[in-house]
Amino acid sequence: MVGFLAEYMFTVIYLSLFVNLGLTLFGLFYKPHYIKKLIMLSILGDTLNMFTIFLGYRAWPTPTTPSRPPILLTYPFENTSVLVEFTSRAVDPLPQALVLTAVVIGLAVMVFLIFLGDNLFKHYGTLDMREIRRLRG
Amino acid sequence: MSLDLLIYAVGAAASLMSVVAVYLALVERDLVKAVIYSAIQSVFYSLLFYLFMSPDIVLVYLPVAGGVLPALLLVLISKTERFERE
Repeated sequence: MVGFLAEYMFTVIYLSLFVNLGLTLFGLFYKPHYIKKLIMLSILGDTLNMFTIFLGYRAWPTPTTPSRPPILLTYPFENTSVLVEFTSRAVDPLPQALVLTAVVIGLAVMVFLIFLGDNLFKHYGTLDMREIRRLRG
Repeated sequence: MSLDLLIYAVGAAASLMSVVAVYLALVERDLVKAVIYSAIQSVFYSLLFYLFMSPDIVLVYLPVAGGVLPALLLVLISKTERFERE
């Protein structure tokens, strides 16, 4: 019963992330305003970061060894069983490092796109992409 | 085992609320409200990051996506236009 509930709620989390992905792609392609496209692009990047975090997560439903925060109380190489327990319980740190870099790079890209939007408004007098497409030709 | 169940329950609630926030940010015509909804969504995502054992990402993601990015978007909105036309 408990395992079924855990699996059900984990499926709810996973499917709601996919729903977020679909909503942001819809907003990115079909909403005409530039700032709305920027908001949707940032949420899309966050959702993909969340999927990357799920790659390294260990305690999937009905886990054999549930994950725990990796805190070492003794130096591990004097006692091998502590090291074995650490490697069987710690989550994968590599996706976390990648996501940490991706968040900062995403901030830099968003600052560039905000600057570009300011210049678009100075040049065309509007941020509606239909208007800009009409005015350009 | 009940702790795992609590983690999944809070995570499911946070992800469903983030779906609601994303939908409201999608359909909102007032862009200031849309930016605020996206900030609420980023708070729920940071709760999910914390529950899925990456508190180091929370320390970066919460100031960036909940503070700096909405502030810059609000600056852009104040320099340009506020309402999205039909």
